[in-house]
Amino acid sequence: MAGAVDAFLAAADLLLPIGYLSAAIAYGVLFFAGHGLARRLSTPLLSGTAALHVTYLVVLTLRYRQFPAVTVSQALSVVALAVALVYLLVEWHGRERSTGLWLVSLVFVFQLLASLLGGEAPPDREIFHSALFASHVSLALLGYAAFVVAAGYGFLFLELYRDLKAGRFSTFYGKLPPLEVLERMMTGALAVGFVALTGAVGLGVFWAERTFPGRWLGDPKILFTLATWALYAVALLLRRTRRWRGRQTALASLAGLAAILFSLLAVNLLFSEFHGAL
Amino acid sequence: MTAAALPTDVSDPRRDPAAPPGEAAGGRFPPLLLIGTDFRLSPLALRERVAYEPEAAEDLLVSLLARESVAEASLLSTCNRTELYVLPRRDERPAYRSVLDTAFLPRAPEIEREGRLYVRRDAEAGRHLLRVAAGLESMVLGEPEILGQVRQAHELAEAVGATGAVTRRLLRVAAETGRRARAETAISTGAVSLGYAVVELARNIFSDLSQAGVLVLGAGETARQVVRNLLDRGARRVQVANRGAERARRLAEEHPGIETLPLEARYEALAAAEVVVATTSAGEPLLTVDGMRAALARRRPRPLLAVDLGVPRNVEEAVGRLANVFLHSIDSLDVLIQRNLRRRREEVPRVEEIVEQELARFSAWYRGLAAEPLVARLQKQAEEVRRRELAAALGRFPPETHDDLDRLTRSLVRKILHHPSTRLRGRRAGEGDEIERLDLVRELFHLGEEDDEGGGGTGGGA
Repeated sequence: MAGAVDAFLAAADLLLPIGYLSAAIAYGVLFFAGHGLARRLSTPLLSGTAALHVTYLVVLTLRYRQFPAVTVSQALSVVALAVALVYLLVEWHGRERSTGLWLVSLVFVFQLLASLLGGEAPPDREIFHSALFASHVSLALLGYAAFVVAAGYGFLFLELYRDLKAGRFSTFYGKLPPLEVLERMMTGALAVGFVALTGAVGLGVFWAERTFPGRWLGDPKILFTLATWALYAVALLLRRTRRWRGRQTALASLAGLAAILFSLLAVNLLFSEFHGAL
Repeated sequence: MTAAALPTDVSDPRRDPAAPPGEAAGGRFPPLLLIGTDFRLSPLALRERVAYEPEAAEDLLVSLLARESVAEASLLSTCNRTELYVLPRRDERPAYRSVLDTAFLPRAPEIEREGRLYVRRDAEAGRHLLRVAAGLESMVLGEPEILGQVRQAHELAEAVGATGAVTRRLLRVAAETGRRARAETAISTGAVSLGYAVVELARNIFSDLSQAGVLVLGAGETARQVVRNLLDRGARRVQVANRGAERARRLAEEHPGIETLPLEARYEALAAAEVVVATTSAGEPLLTVDGMRAALARRRPRPLLAVDLGVPRNVEEAVGRLANVFLHSIDSLDVLIQRNLRRRREEVPRVEEIVEQELARFSAWYRGLAAEPLVARLQKQAEEVRRRELAAALGRFPPETHDDLDRLTRSLVRKILHHPSTRLRGRRAGEGDEIERLDLVRELFHLGEEDDEGGGGTGGGA
């Protein structure tokens, strides 16, 4: 039985990036050509891959009896799924598919990294089974997923902004939602991400202080997460006080995405697992 | 009346070796005749003379129908074209002469002599109407108004009883072609006029035009065009600032709901505006970078679309460098319009495909009116009913009577259909009145249309 489950997990590791890549290509054809087979295929391809992804994570949870965000690979995979689900929700709600190419491409990149880094059995430590850990990680990954979505909309905002400012009317012009809508989506996602990340940081500090009093301050993962949190806090504060407008906020959302990727990859790869210093 | 020669540039497609094979041959298309002129052949002054207001159009159609030579007629009259589509009762030459004498020569005697008329026949005439409805023949490719004008032409012809089976069906097919072209392709998308280009830019920035304040500087023709486009597309808060109050007031009278104010109040008005369009010919910039900076500091931090259509320019170029201000000039709008036109041109092959599909549908409908296939389908349908009813009833009769019942019902059906079949075969499809009758027979017996390739519905006679 375990053999069959492992075979499924290995197959899904391969199929998920392929599925997301196919969906991204379909959304790309839809964006650039605007019609044809891509119109019928894009959403079913993404929905099908997301369904496989949900199954994969459920099987992973049952297989190792722990929340599937213990390794970098698993965390990236959960973020990828969360972004895919958020995009599907946006598409369903707004009947709007022009942003699919960009967000699904991000999903593909995250899942590709997850599959490339995966394969090893996750470590089994007692803390991974606690509800506090699951809440902390869930909130952190929800926050990261929201920030990825914000970065996607931020990128599109900047492209359309440049088009409209320069009067060059490139491929983006006329195919995207209005600038105001992109800005609203971006700031909405930033707000959701910030609230989630604040919760994750709060829970994490509370848990770390109780378990490893004083030691957690030396964990680079925590330090980088706090730095990322501070970056978003400053961006949202400046926006709130009207010192920043859409363009600066969009740039901050892209910088935030870079910080998240650095935090997830560079810092974690120095260690074998999350919070390896602890 | 002597039969006049048709213009030499209009050869009969049935005899024209360049025409698509078999297109108009063999009763595949009704003997339609189109006579018209458009912006390519006639200057505006001439087009104005042969343009028909609705009332005059009604009179014209009634006069045409009173002629022995015309069975059905329809008139499409717009500022860019006047076209008459007629179904001749028999020979097309008297019909051509009737149209010329009634519609064109009384208003523009030189029009034929100067070669400003075009004539199309049969499938070419039908194809032309479908292309017109799809926007392919318009001065501005894909412009949307023509579809409404085709529908109005249909309504007008119906109202005076000038349509028959052929023109009614053709006008319906034309409207459907126009609808499909706009729904399935991008032939009508993107702004191709200055006024609409402003709307398009605004729609790329703001999610809801009705929530955006609009300030228009100037009250001339350009301002009028911009205001009309903005109001038509949902703008609700429009202010017009002009140096002369009288001109602004006239504009406000044309468009109730818009507010007028003196030009000096423009910077104050900017506090509530998301779109500002400058259209004056003022010698100095009306919106300076310092003035704008001060005005922007007083307003909500929303984007501002500034469009400078003035000559010389009304807005200082440096305004475009202010954060969240999108400044566009006539030149950038022209870039946008040319880009949209290029995209529309790229859609032409797809629209032509739709035209051909709809033309084939019309042709299939018409082929279904030929007497022989119609008789065959009538007999096949009757035979199917006979077999079905007989099968249902046989159980109630002794087996030895079944053969007799079969013979009896077969004979009944044959005798009932004998007279109508003979009458149908004795008439010639393609002549005005006959088409109407054949279509009626088909409607009455619910016989449907022939297959596109022309082979369907002819077999299986009783």
